[in-house]
Amino acid sequence: MKLSRWLALFLTLGVGIAHGVLEITVVKKDENTFPVAISPFKLMGQGTQGKGIAKIIHDNLERSGRFDVIIADAPVDEVDVGYWKKQNIEALVTGSIEQESEEIYRLSVRLFDIYSNTNLFTRSTRVHINGFRKVAHQLSDHIYESLLGENGSFNTLLTYITVKEDAKGKKYYRLNISDSDAMNAKSRIKLSTPILSPVWSPDYRFKDKKIAYVSFQNERSEVFIWHPFVRKKIEKLPRFDGIASSPSWHPNGKSLVLTLSKNGNKDIYSYHLASKQLTRLTHHKAIDTEASYSADGKRLVFTSNRSGQVQIYIKNLTNNQINRITFTGRYNAKAVFSPNGEHLALVHRIDNDYRIAMLDIKTQELSMMSNGVLDESPYFSPNGDMIIFSAHRDGKGVLSVVSVKGSRSYELSSHDGEVREPNWSTNLE
Amino acid sequence: MKMIIILPLVVSLSACSTLDKVFKSKPKLKPNTNKVIIEDKSEGAINAVVREQSTFEWSESNELSAKVATMPESARESAVSVLKDNDTKLVLYFDYDAIEISKENAQEIEKHIQFMQANPSIRLRIEGHADERGTRDYNLALGENRALSVKEIFGFYEGLGARIEVISYGEENPQSKMSDEVGWQENRRVEFIYQ
Repeated sequence: MKLSRWLALFLTLGVGIAHGVLEITVVKKDENTFPVAISPFKLMGQGTQGKGIAKIIHDNLERSGRFDVIIADAPVDEVDVGYWKKQNIEALVTGSIEQESEEIYRLSVRLFDIYSNTNLFTRSTRVHINGFRKVAHQLSDHIYESLLGENGSFNTLLTYITVKEDAKGKKYYRLNISDSDAMNAKSRIKLSTPILSPVWSPDYRFKDKKIAYVSFQNERSEVFIWHPFVRKKIEKLPRFDGIASSPSWHPNGKSLVLTLSKNGNKDIYSYHLASKQLTRLTHHKAIDTEASYSADGKRLVFTSNRSGQVQIYIKNLTNNQINRITFTGRYNAKAVFSPNGEHLALVHRIDNDYRIAMLDIKTQELSMMSNGVLDESPYFSPNGDMIIFSAHRDGKGVLSVVSVKGSRSYELSSHDGEVREPNWSTNLE
Repeated sequence: MKMIIILPLVVSLSACSTLDKVFKSKPKLKPNTNKVIIEDKSEGAINAVVREQSTFEWSESNELSAKVATMPESARESAVSVLKDNDTKLVLYFDYDAIEISKENAQEIEKHIQFMQANPSIRLRIEGHADERGTRDYNLALGENRALSVKEIFGFYEGLGARIEVISYGEENPQSKMSDEVGWQENRRVEFIYQ
């Protein structure tokens, strides 16, 4: 089974690594949540694996803030519509797991709409014993889509930096990856010098997935590319003069934009990985940095202080025109496009606080998405429903996730250090 | 692989008149004019093709510094101790989001210039830093601009620019952990590290 091969590798890479593990706290849910019940999956035959699936789905749906989920006391065989209606449950998930061979299980799942007394979907799939968690995320996406009519963002990955200080005050930086629910966390890169700006490549397949990041390991900022799921050496981009920073992928995954400081002048360049060609995208004596593409690759948003203030600009890559986009406040930085290209999430200074805001590009309406003092690094979930960013809670760096509509939010924190600079992958195979 | 190295514009002026000149006009990053081609033998140097409307040069300040003879550690330490005895500041501070050199800072830079002229084999690393406010990437750029605006003044003196390396840590290596104006002021800085 193809799926099992990378999963086995995934596990091999992660053995014995307990660093970078985050805890999730649901802070706020929607006012109108969807009441769902999940039956514990029925274990058939000898097998004992897969018991955790119901719990993973439960946690995913709860965390999204759009559902109220209960797990039934015992596996449900026959759906008693009247009973569930009395419990005010509108949808029910049932399933069974049967062992087919030593490592392969057969998983059957059904989503039932109690309200209309109809079957929404029935699915049957083979799962490798290492693949239950992945299948649970795929099922969560199916349930989310069937009940809400919107794409889910559960079968995705996060990357983030954790910083821990030892007793002598020496700092250790880790580059981590995890599933979207912060489980399955792995940390493969640990340095005593700063690591910054990790970004997932847009590739769909695990074997192609890469993370570009900035490291100071050679006493200067340089951009590196890590292949987390294949045994391949970490690549270093050619050594450029001055700083190399702020990498971000083109949606085709073949090139990235970055900030280079040639002769001291910080401009944005595109670097094509295969041909090693460098193309200059901005020409200005001011600081141009923090570039990021729209999902169609036709626009590039970046930060510049060319007006004397730090503001956001968009370069139209079809006609090469550059327009200033932010006019509210004296400091707007690190913008990213929403997946549909209509909004920007950015860092906005209000009085002395740096907060996350969302800008409607067309109407210029600016909505505040956070209320912290030093919030930064916003990034959209792949379905555009949530924004993840770095915040400070009790003097410690945590990741906060807020809904774009409504007031849902949850937090990801590390018990032994600071978490920062989150980045959310696109949906996976 | 050939790399084109750019030497800073060499200007011979007396210390006093240059500083005056700097203060009459706001320091600006100037274009380099002289080019020297040296071979890059550094390990792992990767060939990169540059495609651009205008011609493009690689400049490698580190490679350049490597051509200057290194000063023995003991000699360097005793030289730097003289600088410290002399109350010369090894850290200069900046205003919020600013890269301008104050008159006080310029006077300190002048002492460093004289020091480097008196110690022709000493090399200098200028490290730029920013406070934690604002985004990390912007602060990395800001830190480099602070270091570059200091280096620019050295560049007016013959041979000094070639012995100076500029790096930025942005907000990553704060001097103070305090999240208030006192802490931020300590972190908006440029450090002189003699090598």
